[in-house]
Amino acid sequence: MQNTGSKKKKLRKKISFGWFMFYTFLIALVAFTSLPLVYMISTAFKPLDELFIYPPRFFVRRPTLQNFIDLLTAVSSSTIPFTRYIFNSLFVTVVVVGGTVIISSLGAFVVAKYKLPGVNWIFGIVIAALMFSSHVTQIPSYMVINKLGLLNTYWALIIPKLAVPYNFFLIKQFCEQMPNELLESARIDGANDWVLFWKIAMPTLTPAWSTLIVFSFISNWNDAFTPLIYITSQAKKTLPLALQTIAGGPGVVARSGAVAAATFITTIPTIVIFVWMQARVLETMAYSGIKA
Amino acid sequence: MKKSWWTMRRKQALEGYLFILPWIIGVSAFFLYPLFKSIRLSFSKITKFAGWEMEWVGFDNYIRAFVWDINFLPMFFETVQKTLLYLPLINIFALFLAILLNKKIKARGLFRMVYFMPVILGSGHVMTQLVGEGVVQGAIDVERGVAIPREILMYMGPTIVRTVQNFMNNLALILWKSGVQIVLYISGLQGISSSLYEAARCDGASEWEMFWKITLPMISPVILLSLIYTLIDLFADVSNPIVDYVRTTAFTNRQYEYGAAIGWIYFAFIFLIVMVVFMAGRRYVHDASAR
Repeated sequence: MQNTGSKKKKLRKKISFGWFMFYTFLIALVAFTSLPLVYMISTAFKPLDELFIYPPRFFVRRPTLQNFIDLLTAVSSSTIPFTRYIFNSLFVTVVVVGGTVIISSLGAFVVAKYKLPGVNWIFGIVIAALMFSSHVTQIPSYMVINKLGLLNTYWALIIPKLAVPYNFFLIKQFCEQMPNELLESARIDGANDWVLFWKIAMPTLTPAWSTLIVFSFISNWNDAFTPLIYITSQAKKTLPLALQTIAGGPGVVARSGAVAAATFITTIPTIVIFVWMQARVLETMAYSGIKA
Repeated sequence: MKKSWWTMRRKQALEGYLFILPWIIGVSAFFLYPLFKSIRLSFSKITKFAGWEMEWVGFDNYIRAFVWDINFLPMFFETVQKTLLYLPLINIFALFLAILLNKKIKARGLFRMVYFMPVILGSGHVMTQLVGEGVVQGAIDVERGVAIPREILMYMGPTIVRTVQNFMNNLALILWKSGVQIVLYISGLQGISSSLYEAARCDGASEWEMFWKITLPMISPVILLSLIYTLIDLFADVSNPIVDYVRTTAFTNRQYEYGAAIGWIYFAFIFLIVMVVFMAGRRYVHDASAR
Protein backbone atom coordinates (compact mmCIF):
# COMPACT_ATOMS: atom_id res chain seq x y z
CA MET A 1 0.00 0.00 0.00
CA GLN A 2 2.67 2.46 1.04
CA ASN A 3 4.73 1.37 -1.89
CA THR A 4 2.09 2.25 -4.42
CA GLY A 5 1.53 5.58 -2.66
CA SER A 6 5.15 6.65 -3.05
CA LYS A 7 5.11 5.44 -6.61
CA LYS A 8 2.15 7.65 -7.31
CA LYS A 9 3.93 10.64 -5.82
CA LYS A 10 6.94 10.02 -7.99
CA LEU A 11 4.73 9.73 -11.01
CA ARG A 12 3.06 12.98 -10.18
CA LYS A 13 6.35 14.81 -9.89
CA LYS A 14 7.43 13.45 -13.25
CA ILE A 15 4.17 14.45 -14.79
CA SER A 16 4.27 18.02 -13.57
CA PHE A 17 7.60 18.63 -15.29
CA GLY A 18 6.29 16.85 -18.34
CA TRP A 19 3.19 19.00 -18.16
CA PHE A 20 5.28 22.14 -18.21
CA MET A 21 7.16 21.03 -21.31
CA PHE A 22 3.89 19.93 -22.81
CA TYR A 23 2.20 23.31 -22.48
CA THR A 24 5.32 25.10 -23.66
CA PHE A 25 5.31 22.95 -26.76
CA LEU A 26 1.61 23.48 -27.45
CA ILE A 27 1.87 27.22 -26.95
CA ALA A 28 4.93 27.42 -29.19
CA LEU A 29 2.95 25.68 -31.90
CA VAL A 30 0.04 28.04 -31.35
CA ALA A 31 2.39 30.96 -31.83
CA PHE A 32 3.71 29.43 -35.01
CA THR A 33 0.26 28.66 -36.36
CA SER A 34 -1.10 32.08 -35.71
CA LEU A 35 1.84 33.82 -37.41
CA PRO A 36 0.03 34.49 -40.70
CA LEU A 37 -3.03 35.76 -38.88
CA VAL A 38 -1.04 38.09 -36.67
CA TYR A 39 0.98 39.27 -39.64
CA MET A 40 -2.15 39.95 -41.64
CA ILE A 41 -3.73 41.98 -38.87
CA SER A 42 -0.62 43.97 -38.15
CA THR A 43 -0.01 44.62 -41.86
CA ALA A 44 -3.47 46.09 -42.24
CA PHE A 45 -2.52 48.80 -39.77
CA LYS A 46 0.96 49.54 -41.06
CA PRO A 47 1.76 52.97 -42.50
CA LEU A 48 3.20 53.01 -46.02
CA ASP A 49 6.87 53.26 -45.09
CA GLU A 50 6.63 50.26 -42.78
CA LEU A 51 4.97 48.17 -45.48
CA PHE A 52 8.07 48.20 -47.64
CA ILE A 53 10.77 47.56 -45.06
CA TYR A 54 13.01 44.68 -46.02
CA PRO A 55 13.22 42.25 -44.30
CA PRO A 56 9.54 42.74 -43.42
CA ARG A 57 8.91 43.61 -39.81
CA PHE A 58 6.43 41.46 -38.02
CA PHE A 59 4.65 43.83 -35.72
CA VAL A 60 3.41 47.26 -36.59
CA ARG A 61 5.33 50.11 -34.94
CA ARG A 62 3.03 53.05 -35.57
CA PRO A 63 -0.47 51.72 -36.24
CA THR A 64 -2.63 53.80 -38.56
CA LEU A 65 -6.06 53.62 -40.15
CA GLN A 66 -4.77 55.20 -43.36
CA ASN A 67 -4.99 51.89 -45.25
CA PHE A 68 -8.71 51.64 -44.62
CA ILE A 69 -9.23 55.22 -45.79
CA ASP A 70 -7.13 54.45 -48.88
CA LEU A 71 -9.25 51.43 -49.55
CA LEU A 72 -12.43 53.49 -49.48
CA THR A 73 -11.05 56.17 -51.76
CA ALA A 74 -9.47 53.63 -54.11
CA VAL A 75 -12.78 51.93 -54.75
CA SER A 76 -15.00 55.00 -54.61
CA SER A 77 -13.20 56.41 -57.64
CA SER A 78 -14.85 53.63 -59.58
CA THR A 79 -18.63 53.88 -59.47
CA ILE A 80 -19.32 50.98 -57.13
CA PRO A 81 -18.92 51.40 -53.38
CA PHE A 82 -16.97 48.81 -51.43
CA THR A 83 -20.07 47.89 -49.45
CA ARG A 84 -21.66 46.64 -52.66
CA TYR A 85 -19.05 43.87 -52.91
CA ILE A 86 -19.66 42.97 -49.30
CA PHE A 87 -23.39 42.74 -50.02
CA ASN A 88 -22.78 40.58 -53.12
CA SER A 89 -20.55 38.22 -51.21
CA LEU A 90 -22.88 37.98 -48.24
CA PHE A 91 -25.99 37.44 -50.36
CA VAL A 92 -24.47 34.75 -52.57
CA THR A 93 -22.76 32.94 -49.71
CA VAL A 94 -25.82 32.89 -47.46
CA VAL A 95 -28.10 31.58 -50.21
CA VAL A 96 -25.59 28.93 -51.24
CA VAL A 97 -24.99 27.74 -47.68
CA GLY A 98 -28.69 27.59 -46.86
CA GLY A 99 -29.52 25.82 -50.09
CA THR A 100 -26.74 23.29 -49.94
CA VAL A 101 -27.52 22.37 -46.33
CA ILE A 102 -31.15 21.60 -47.18
CA ILE A 103 -30.52 19.86 -50.51
CA SER A 104 -27.61 17.77 -49.25
CA SER A 105 -29.40 16.81 -46.04
CA LEU A 106 -32.57 15.75 -47.87
CA GLY A 107 -30.61 13.60 -50.32
CA ALA A 108 -28.18 12.13 -47.83
CA PHE A 109 -30.93 11.32 -45.33
CA VAL A 110 -32.86 9.36 -47.94
CA VAL A 111 -29.81 7.56 -49.30
CA ALA A 112 -28.64 6.57 -45.82
CA LYS A 113 -31.96 5.62 -44.26
CA TYR A 114 -34.49 4.61 -46.91
CA LYS A 115 -32.80 1.70 -48.72
CA LEU A 116 -34.49 2.67 -51.95
CA PRO A 117 -33.78 0.63 -55.06
CA GLY A 118 -31.27 2.32 -57.33
CA VAL A 119 -29.82 4.89 -54.95
CA ASN A 120 -26.59 3.09 -54.23
CA TRP A 121 -25.00 4.33 -57.41
CA ILE A 122 -25.52 7.87 -56.12
CA PHE A 123 -23.07 7.23 -53.34
CA GLY A 124 -20.64 5.73 -55.86
CA ILE A 125 -20.78 8.95 -57.84
CA VAL A 126 -20.16 10.95 -54.70
CA ILE A 127 -17.05 8.97 -53.81
CA ALA A 128 -15.65 9.35 -57.32
CA ALA A 129 -16.54 13.02 -57.36
CA LEU A 130 -14.58 13.71 -54.18
CA MET A 131 -11.39 13.11 -56.12
CA PHE A 132 -12.10 15.52 -58.91
CA SER A 133 -10.99 19.07 -58.86
CA SER A 134 -13.66 21.36 -60.16
CA HIS A 135 -11.24 22.78 -62.72
CA VAL A 136 -11.73 19.86 -65.08
CA THR A 137 -15.48 20.25 -65.21
CA GLN A 138 -15.35 24.03 -65.18
CA ILE A 139 -15.45 24.52 -68.93
CA PRO A 140 -18.54 22.38 -69.60
CA SER A 141 -20.17 23.91 -66.52
CA TYR A 142 -19.65 27.24 -68.19
CA MET A 143 -21.42 25.91 -71.27
CA VAL A 144 -24.36 24.80 -69.13
CA ILE A 145 -24.64 28.16 -67.41
CA ASN A 146 -24.32 29.85 -70.78
CA LYS A 147 -27.12 27.74 -72.26
CA LEU A 148 -29.38 28.46 -69.31
CA GLY A 149 -28.76 32.13 -69.93
CA LEU A 150 -27.51 32.72 -66.41
CA LEU A 151 -24.20 34.35 -67.23
CA ASN A 152 -23.54 37.51 -65.27
CA THR A 153 -26.33 36.90 -62.76
CA TYR A 154 -26.20 35.93 -59.11
CA TRP A 155 -27.75 32.59 -60.09
CA ALA A 156 -24.58 31.62 -61.93
CA LEU A 157 -22.75 31.87 -58.60
CA ILE A 158 -25.45 30.07 -56.65
CA ILE A 159 -26.91 27.18 -58.65
CA PRO A 160 -23.71 25.22 -59.47
CA LYS A 161 -22.72 25.32 -55.79
CA LEU A 162 -25.87 23.75 -54.38
CA ALA A 163 -25.40 20.06 -55.13
CA VAL A 164 -21.81 19.55 -54.02
CA PRO A 165 -20.68 15.91 -53.59
CA TYR A 166 -18.47 16.68 -50.61
CA ASN A 167 -21.37 18.15 -48.63
CA PHE A 168 -23.49 15.13 -49.42
CA PHE A 169 -20.72 12.84 -48.21
CA LEU A 170 -20.33 14.70 -44.93
CA ILE A 171 -24.04 14.58 -44.04
CA LYS A 172 -24.41 10.98 -45.16
CA GLN A 173 -21.62 9.87 -42.81
CA PHE A 174 -23.50 11.42 -39.91
CA CYS A 175 -26.84 9.98 -41.05
CA GLU A 176 -25.45 6.47 -40.77
CA GLN A 177 -25.11 6.93 -37.01
CA MET A 178 -28.73 7.95 -36.57
CA PRO A 179 -30.62 5.15 -34.78
CA ASN A 180 -33.32 3.52 -36.92
CA GLU A 181 -35.57 3.08 -33.89
CA LEU A 182 -35.92 6.84 -33.62
CA LEU A 183 -37.33 7.04 -37.13
CA GLU A 184 -39.48 3.94 -36.71
CA SER A 185 -41.14 5.19 -33.54
CA ALA A 186 -41.88 8.56 -35.13
CA ARG A 187 -43.36 6.83 -38.14
CA ILE A 188 -45.57 4.69 -35.90
CA ASP A 189 -46.75 7.88 -34.25
CA GLY A 190 -48.00 8.91 -37.66
CA ALA A 191 -45.35 11.37 -38.81
CA ASN A 192 -45.01 11.63 -42.57
CA ASP A 193 -41.63 11.80 -44.25
CA TRP A 194 -41.53 15.55 -44.54
CA VAL A 195 -42.24 15.97 -40.82
CA LEU A 196 -39.84 13.16 -40.05
CA PHE A 197 -37.07 14.97 -41.86
CA TRP A 198 -37.61 18.35 -40.24
CA LYS A 199 -38.59 17.28 -36.73
CA ILE A 200 -36.44 14.19 -36.21
CA ALA A 201 -33.60 14.03 -38.72
CA MET A 202 -32.47 17.66 -38.83
CA PRO A 203 -32.29 18.16 -35.04
CA THR A 204 -30.30 14.93 -34.71
CA LEU A 205 -27.98 16.06 -37.47
CA THR A 206 -27.18 19.42 -35.88
CA PRO A 207 -23.43 18.71 -35.53
CA ALA A 208 -23.31 17.62 -39.17
CA TRP A 209 -24.95 20.66 -40.67
CA SER A 210 -23.17 23.01 -38.29
CA THR A 211 -19.92 21.62 -39.64
CA LEU A 212 -21.26 21.89 -43.16
CA ILE A 213 -22.22 25.52 -42.63
CA VAL A 214 -18.69 26.32 -41.50
CA PHE A 215 -17.00 24.57 -44.42
CA SER A 216 -19.44 25.73 -47.03
CA PHE A 217 -19.44 29.32 -45.84
CA ILE A 218 -15.67 29.51 -45.83
CA SER A 219 -15.10 27.95 -49.23
CA ASN A 220 -17.82 30.00 -50.90
CA TRP A 221 -16.86 33.23 -49.22
CA ASN A 222 -13.25 32.80 -50.31
CA ASP A 223 -14.02 31.66 -53.83
CA ALA A 224 -12.67 34.14 -56.36
CA PHE A 225 -12.61 31.69 -59.25
CA THR A 226 -16.33 31.15 -59.92
CA PRO A 227 -17.21 34.85 -60.12
CA LEU A 228 -14.12 35.40 -62.27
CA ILE A 229 -15.59 33.07 -64.87
CA TYR A 230 -19.28 33.88 -64.70
CA ILE A 231 -19.44 37.54 -63.75
CA THR A 232 -18.48 40.33 -66.07
CA SER A 233 -20.21 43.38 -64.64
CA GLN A 234 -18.36 45.19 -61.90
CA ALA A 235 -21.52 45.64 -59.80
CA LYS A 236 -21.99 41.90 -59.36
CA LYS A 237 -18.45 40.97 -58.40
CA THR A 238 -17.91 39.42 -55.01
CA LEU A 239 -15.40 40.52 -52.45
CA PRO A 240 -12.48 38.18 -53.28
CA LEU A 241 -12.68 39.06 -56.97
CA ALA A 242 -12.99 42.75 -56.21
CA LEU A 243 -9.89 42.41 -54.06
CA GLN A 244 -7.96 41.23 -57.07
CA THR A 245 -9.20 44.24 -58.97
CA ILE A 246 -8.06 46.57 -56.22
CA ALA A 247 -4.70 44.88 -56.10
CA GLY A 248 -4.45 45.39 -59.86
CA GLY A 249 -2.53 42.18 -60.32
CA PRO A 250 0.89 41.24 -59.02
CA GLY A 251 3.61 43.85 -59.06
CA VAL A 252 1.38 46.81 -58.29
CA VAL A 253 2.77 48.33 -55.15
CA ALA A 254 0.89 51.60 -55.00
CA ARG A 255 -2.12 50.12 -53.26
CA SER A 256 -0.42 47.60 -51.01
CA GLY A 257 -1.86 49.26 -47.94
CA ALA A 258 -5.38 49.18 -49.33
CA VAL A 259 -4.98 45.51 -50.25
CA ALA A 260 -3.78 44.66 -46.77
CA ALA A 261 -6.80 46.42 -45.30
CA ALA A 262 -9.16 44.69 -47.72
CA THR A 263 -7.63 41.28 -46.95
CA PHE A 264 -8.19 41.95 -43.27
CA ILE A 265 -11.83 42.88 -43.84
CA THR A 266 -12.44 39.81 -46.01
CA THR A 267 -11.07 37.46 -43.41
CA ILE A 268 -13.18 38.73 -40.52
CA PRO A 269 -16.49 36.97 -41.40
CA THR A 270 -14.84 33.57 -41.88
CA ILE A 271 -13.15 33.82 -38.52
CA VAL A 272 -16.34 35.00 -36.83
CA ILE A 273 -18.47 32.22 -38.26
CA PHE A 274 -15.85 29.64 -37.42
CA VAL A 275 -15.46 30.73 -33.82
CA TRP A 276 -19.21 30.99 -33.38
CA MET A 277 -20.13 27.68 -35.01
CA GLN A 278 -17.21 25.77 -33.56
CA ALA A 279 -18.52 26.40 -30.07
CA ARG A 280 -21.92 25.22 -31.23
CA VAL A 281 -20.60 22.05 -32.81
CA LEU A 282 -18.68 21.11 -29.68
CA GLU A 283 -21.68 21.87 -27.49
CA THR A 284 -23.99 19.69 -29.57
CA MET A 285 -21.51 16.86 -29.59
CA ALA A 286 -21.07 17.03 -25.82
CA TYR A 287 -24.84 17.07 -25.38
CA SER A 288 -25.47 14.04 -27.55
CA GLY A 289 -22.59 12.32 -25.77
CA ILE A 290 -24.25 12.80 -22.38
CA LYS A 291 -27.54 11.54 -23.73
CA ALA A 292 -26.07 8.38 -25.24
CA MET B 1 -53.51 -5.63 -44.78
CA LYS B 2 -50.51 -6.71 -46.72
CA LYS B 3 -51.55 -4.74 -49.74
CA SER B 4 -52.00 -1.51 -47.82
CA TRP B 5 -48.56 -1.93 -46.29
CA TRP B 6 -47.14 -2.33 -49.73
CA THR B 7 -48.73 0.85 -51.05
CA MET B 8 -47.55 2.75 -48.03
CA ARG B 9 -44.11 1.47 -48.73
CA ARG B 10 -44.45 2.61 -52.30
CA LYS B 11 -45.65 6.05 -51.30
CA GLN B 12 -42.70 6.32 -48.98
CA ALA B 13 -40.33 5.38 -51.79
CA LEU B 14 -41.88 7.98 -54.01
CA GLU B 15 -41.41 10.63 -51.36
CA GLY B 16 -37.84 9.44 -50.90
CA TYR B 17 -37.05 9.93 -54.57
CA LEU B 18 -38.68 13.33 -54.38
CA PHE B 19 -36.30 14.23 -51.56
CA ILE B 20 -33.20 13.31 -53.55
CA LEU B 21 -34.44 14.88 -56.75
CA PRO B 22 -33.02 18.40 -56.27
CA TRP B 23 -29.61 16.97 -55.51
CA ILE B 24 -29.70 14.64 -58.50
CA ILE B 25 -30.69 17.46 -60.83
CA GLY B 26 -27.88 19.64 -59.50
CA VAL B 27 -25.25 16.94 -59.77
CA SER B 28 -26.38 15.88 -63.23
CA ALA B 29 -26.26 19.42 -64.56
CA PHE B 30 -23.08 20.61 -62.90
CA PHE B 31 -21.06 17.48 -62.33
CA LEU B 32 -22.06 14.47 -64.45
CA TYR B 33 -22.86 16.27 -67.68
CA PRO B 34 -19.72 18.44 -67.48
CA LEU B 35 -17.71 15.35 -66.64
CA PHE B 36 -18.70 13.50 -69.78
CA LYS B 37 -18.51 16.65 -71.81
CA SER B 38 -14.93 17.19 -70.65
CA ILE B 39 -13.98 13.65 -71.70
CA ARG B 40 -15.43 14.43 -75.10
CA LEU B 41 -13.58 17.74 -75.10
CA SER B 42 -10.24 16.12 -74.32
CA PHE B 43 -10.48 14.04 -77.51
CA SER B 44 -11.48 16.96 -79.66
CA LYS B 45 -10.36 20.18 -81.15
CA ILE B 46 -12.58 23.22 -80.88
CA THR B 47 -13.08 24.66 -84.33
CA LYS B 48 -15.44 27.50 -83.45
CA PHE B 49 -15.66 29.10 -80.03
CA ALA B 50 -19.00 30.71 -80.75
CA GLY B 51 -21.12 27.56 -80.77
CA TRP B 52 -18.58 25.26 -79.14
CA GLU B 53 -18.22 23.36 -82.39
CA MET B 54 -15.58 20.68 -82.22
CA GLU B 55 -14.13 17.88 -84.26
CA TRP B 56 -12.81 14.51 -83.13
CA VAL B 57 -9.01 14.28 -83.08
CA GLY B 58 -8.46 11.07 -81.12
CA PHE B 59 -5.54 11.00 -78.71
CA ASP B 60 -3.82 14.13 -80.07
CA ASN B 61 -4.23 16.12 -76.86
CA TYR B 62 -2.91 13.27 -74.74
CA ILE B 63 0.05 12.69 -77.03
CA ARG B 64 0.80 16.38 -76.84
CA ALA B 65 0.99 16.21 -73.02
CA PHE B 66 3.47 13.35 -72.97
CA VAL B 67 5.51 14.01 -76.11
CA TRP B 68 5.41 17.68 -77.02
CA ASP B 69 4.75 19.61 -73.84
CA ILE B 70 8.02 20.30 -72.02
CA ASN B 71 6.27 21.75 -68.98
CA PHE B 72 3.80 19.04 -68.14
CA LEU B 73 5.89 16.04 -67.10
CA PRO B 74 8.41 17.86 -64.85
CA MET B 75 5.55 19.66 -63.12
CA PHE B 76 3.70 16.42 -62.77
CA PHE B 77 6.64 14.68 -61.11
CA GLU B 78 7.32 17.63 -58.86
CA THR B 79 3.73 17.56 -57.66
CA VAL B 80 3.79 13.81 -57.05
CA GLN B 81 7.09 14.00 -55.21
CA LYS B 82 5.93 16.82 -52.96
CA THR B 83 2.66 15.09 -52.19
CA LEU B 84 4.32 11.82 -51.27
CA LEU B 85 6.73 13.70 -49.01
CA TYR B 86 4.01 15.65 -47.22
CA LEU B 87 1.57 12.77 -46.88
CA PRO B 88 3.37 10.91 -44.06
CA LEU B 89 4.71 14.08 -42.44
CA ILE B 90 1.29 15.71 -42.14
CA ASN B 91 -0.34 12.57 -40.80
CA ILE B 92 2.32 11.76 -38.23
CA PHE B 93 2.31 15.34 -37.06
CA ALA B 94 -1.50 15.50 -36.90
CA LEU B 95 -1.74 12.22 -35.00
CA PHE B 96 0.92 13.40 -32.57
CA LEU B 97 -0.91 16.66 -31.92
CA ALA B 98 -4.26 14.90 -31.64
CA ILE B 99 -2.87 12.60 -28.96
CA LEU B 100 -1.55 15.59 -27.05
CA LEU B 101 -4.85 17.42 -27.38
CA ASN B 102 -6.81 14.37 -26.34
CA LYS B 103 -5.21 14.46 -22.90
CA LYS B 104 -7.02 16.23 -20.12
CA ILE B 105 -5.53 19.65 -20.61
CA LYS B 106 -6.73 23.15 -19.96
CA ALA B 107 -8.17 25.21 -22.83
CA ARG B 108 -8.31 22.24 -25.14
CA GLY B 109 -11.02 23.82 -27.25
CA LEU B 110 -8.93 26.93 -27.70
CA PHE B 111 -5.86 24.98 -28.84
CA ARG B 112 -7.92 22.94 -31.24
CA MET B 113 -9.49 26.07 -32.65
CA VAL B 114 -6.18 27.79 -33.20
CA TYR B 115 -4.69 24.75 -34.93
CA PHE B 116 -7.71 24.63 -37.18
CA MET B 117 -7.46 28.31 -38.08
CA PRO B 118 -5.06 27.91 -41.05
CA VAL B 119 -7.62 25.69 -42.76
CA ILE B 120 -9.95 28.64 -42.80
CA LEU B 121 -7.39 31.18 -43.91
CA GLY B 122 -5.74 28.75 -46.27
CA SER B 123 -8.71 27.78 -48.33
CA GLY B 124 -8.89 31.04 -50.12
CA HIS B 125 -7.56 34.04 -51.78
CA VAL B 126 -6.22 35.40 -48.53
CA MET B 127 -3.58 32.74 -48.12
CA THR B 128 -2.59 32.96 -51.77
CA GLN B 129 -2.20 36.65 -51.24
CA LEU B 130 -0.10 36.10 -48.13
CA VAL B 131 2.16 33.60 -49.85
CA GLY B 132 2.37 35.80 -52.94
CA GLU B 133 3.42 38.82 -50.92
CA GLY B 134 6.22 36.81 -49.37
CA VAL B 135 4.55 36.89 -46.00
CA VAL B 136 5.25 33.22 -45.37
CA GLN B 137 8.85 33.75 -46.29
CA GLY B 138 8.90 36.87 -44.18
CA ALA B 139 7.36 35.12 -41.23
CA ILE B 140 9.93 32.38 -41.42
CA ASP B 141 12.74 34.85 -41.82
CA VAL B 142 11.59 36.57 -38.69
CA GLU B 143 11.18 33.27 -36.95
CA ARG B 144 14.68 32.28 -37.93
CA GLY B 145 16.03 35.56 -36.70
CA VAL B 146 14.32 34.98 -33.38
CA ALA B 147 15.10 31.29 -33.03
CA ILE B 148 18.74 31.42 -34.04
CA PRO B 149 20.80 34.62 -33.88
CA ARG B 150 22.26 35.74 -37.16
CA GLU B 151 25.81 35.53 -35.84
CA ILE B 152 25.48 31.81 -35.36
CA LEU B 153 23.93 31.40 -38.78
CA MET B 154 26.90 33.15 -40.33
CA TYR B 155 29.23 30.50 -38.94
CA MET B 156 27.11 27.64 -40.21
CA GLY B 157 27.48 28.36 -43.89
CA PRO B 158 24.89 28.61 -46.61
CA THR B 159 24.07 24.91 -46.96
CA ILE B 160 23.02 24.49 -43.37
CA VAL B 161 21.15 27.77 -43.38
CA ARG B 162 19.27 26.64 -46.45
CA THR B 163 18.46 23.34 -44.77
CA VAL B 164 17.17 25.13 -41.71
CA GLN B 165 15.17 27.45 -43.89
CA ASN B 166 13.74 24.51 -45.84
CA PHE B 167 12.86 22.74 -42.65
CA MET B 168 11.10 25.78 -41.24
CA ASN B 169 9.31 26.24 -44.52
CA ASN B 170 8.10 22.65 -44.47
CA LEU B 171 7.14 22.84 -40.82
CA ALA B 172 4.98 25.86 -41.50
CA LEU B 173 3.29 24.16 -44.44
CA ILE B 174 2.72 20.95 -42.52
CA LEU B 175 1.26 22.84 -39.62
CA TRP B 176 -1.03 24.86 -41.86
CA LYS B 177 -2.19 21.80 -43.74
CA SER B 178 -3.04 19.48 -40.86
CA GLY B 179 -6.04 21.19 -39.28
CA VAL B 180 -8.66 18.82 -40.62
CA GLN B 181 -6.54 15.77 -39.90
CA ILE B 182 -6.11 16.82 -36.28
CA VAL B 183 -9.88 17.05 -35.90
CA LEU B 184 -10.34 13.65 -37.56
CA TYR B 185 -7.79 12.00 -35.29
CA ILE B 186 -9.24 13.56 -32.15
CA SER B 187 -12.69 12.23 -32.95
CA GLY B 188 -11.11 8.84 -33.66
CA LEU B 189 -9.25 8.85 -30.36
CA GLN B 190 -12.38 9.77 -28.45
CA GLY B 191 -14.14 6.78 -29.93
CA ILE B 192 -11.74 4.37 -28.22
CA SER B 193 -13.28 2.95 -25.06
CA SER B 194 -11.29 3.90 -21.99
CA SER B 195 -11.85 0.43 -20.52
CA LEU B 196 -9.28 -0.91 -22.99
CA TYR B 197 -6.64 1.37 -21.54
CA GLU B 198 -7.66 0.54 -17.97
CA ALA B 199 -7.37 -3.16 -18.67
CA ALA B 200 -3.97 -2.70 -20.28
CA ARG B 201 -2.80 -0.57 -17.36
CA CYS B 202 -3.83 -3.31 -14.94
CA ASP B 203 -1.68 -5.70 -16.94
CA GLY B 204 1.22 -3.30 -16.51
CA ALA B 205 1.47 -1.94 -20.01
CA SER B 206 3.46 1.26 -20.49
CA GLU B 207 2.15 4.29 -22.35
CA TRP B 208 4.41 3.43 -25.25
CA GLU B 209 3.10 -0.13 -25.48
CA MET B 210 -0.48 1.05 -25.20
CA PHE B 211 0.06 3.41 -28.11
CA TRP B 212 1.28 0.63 -30.40
CA LYS B 213 -1.03 -2.11 -29.18
CA ILE B 214 -4.26 -0.21 -28.55
CA THR B 215 -4.35 3.29 -29.97
CA LEU B 216 -2.85 2.57 -33.36
CA PRO B 217 -4.93 -0.49 -34.25
CA MET B 218 -8.10 1.10 -32.90
CA ILE B 219 -7.79 4.26 -34.96
CA SER B 220 -6.50 2.54 -38.09
CA PRO B 221 -9.77 3.24 -39.95
CA VAL B 222 -9.38 6.92 -39.12
CA ILE B 223 -5.77 6.81 -40.29
CA LEU B 224 -6.90 5.41 -43.61
CA LEU B 225 -9.58 8.08 -43.92
CA SER B 226 -7.11 10.79 -43.03
CA LEU B 227 -4.49 9.48 -45.48
CA ILE B 228 -6.99 9.57 -48.31
CA TYR B 229 -8.23 12.99 -47.27
CA THR B 230 -4.66 14.30 -47.20
CA LEU B 231 -3.88 12.82 -50.62
CA ILE B 232 -6.91 14.40 -52.24
CA ASP B 233 -6.40 17.67 -50.41
CA LEU B 234 -2.78 17.93 -51.52
CA PHE B 235 -3.46 16.88 -55.09
CA ALA B 236 -6.42 19.19 -55.55
CA ASP B 237 -4.80 22.15 -53.81
CA VAL B 238 -5.12 25.37 -55.77
CA SER B 239 -1.51 26.30 -55.15
CA ASN B 240 -0.49 23.01 -56.72
CA PRO B 241 1.57 23.64 -59.90
CA ILE B 242 -0.39 21.15 -62.00
CA VAL B 243 -3.79 22.44 -60.96
CA ASP B 244 -2.56 25.91 -61.69
CA TYR B 245 -1.26 24.73 -65.08
CA VAL B 246 -4.63 23.23 -65.97
CA ARG B 247 -6.28 26.49 -65.07
CA THR B 248 -3.92 28.72 -67.04
CA THR B 249 -4.00 26.41 -70.05
CA ALA B 250 -7.75 26.33 -70.13
CA PHE B 251 -8.69 29.84 -69.11
CA THR B 252 -5.75 32.13 -69.75
CA ASN B 253 -4.52 30.50 -72.95
CA ARG B 254 -8.02 29.41 -73.97
CA GLN B 255 -6.89 25.88 -74.91
CA TYR B 256 -9.89 24.22 -73.33
CA GLU B 257 -9.43 20.86 -74.98
CA TYR B 258 -5.80 20.53 -73.92
CA GLY B 259 -6.68 21.71 -70.42
CA ALA B 260 -9.31 19.00 -70.20
CA ALA B 261 -6.83 16.38 -71.41
CA ILE B 262 -4.13 17.16 -68.85
CA GLY B 263 -6.81 17.46 -66.20
CA TRP B 264 -7.92 13.94 -67.01
CA ILE B 265 -4.39 12.53 -67.02
CA TYR B 266 -3.81 14.09 -63.63
CA PHE B 267 -7.01 12.84 -62.09
CA ALA B 268 -6.64 9.37 -63.52
CA PHE B 269 -3.33 9.28 -61.69
CA ILE B 270 -4.85 10.53 -58.43
CA PHE B 271 -7.58 7.95 -58.72
CA LEU B 272 -4.96 5.23 -59.13
CA ILE B 273 -2.95 6.35 -56.08
CA VAL B 274 -6.03 6.71 -53.90
CA MET B 275 -7.17 3.24 -54.93
CA VAL B 276 -3.76 1.76 -54.11
CA VAL B 277 -3.76 3.43 -50.69
CA PHE B 278 -7.33 2.33 -50.11
CA MET B 279 -6.68 -1.30 -51.02
CA ALA B 280 -3.45 -1.52 -49.05
CA GLY B 281 -4.99 0.34 -46.14
CA ARG B 282 -8.09 -1.79 -46.04
CA ARG B 283 -6.06 -4.93 -45.76
CA TYR B 284 -4.11 -3.46 -42.88
CA VAL B 285 -7.18 -2.14 -41.13
CA HIS B 286 -8.91 -5.45 -41.51
CA ASP B 287 -5.94 -7.34 -40.06
CA ALA B 288 -5.88 -5.03 -37.08
CA SER B 289 -9.52 -5.57 -36.25
CA ALA B 290 -9.28 -9.35 -36.66
CA ARG B 291 -6.35 -9.70 -34.31
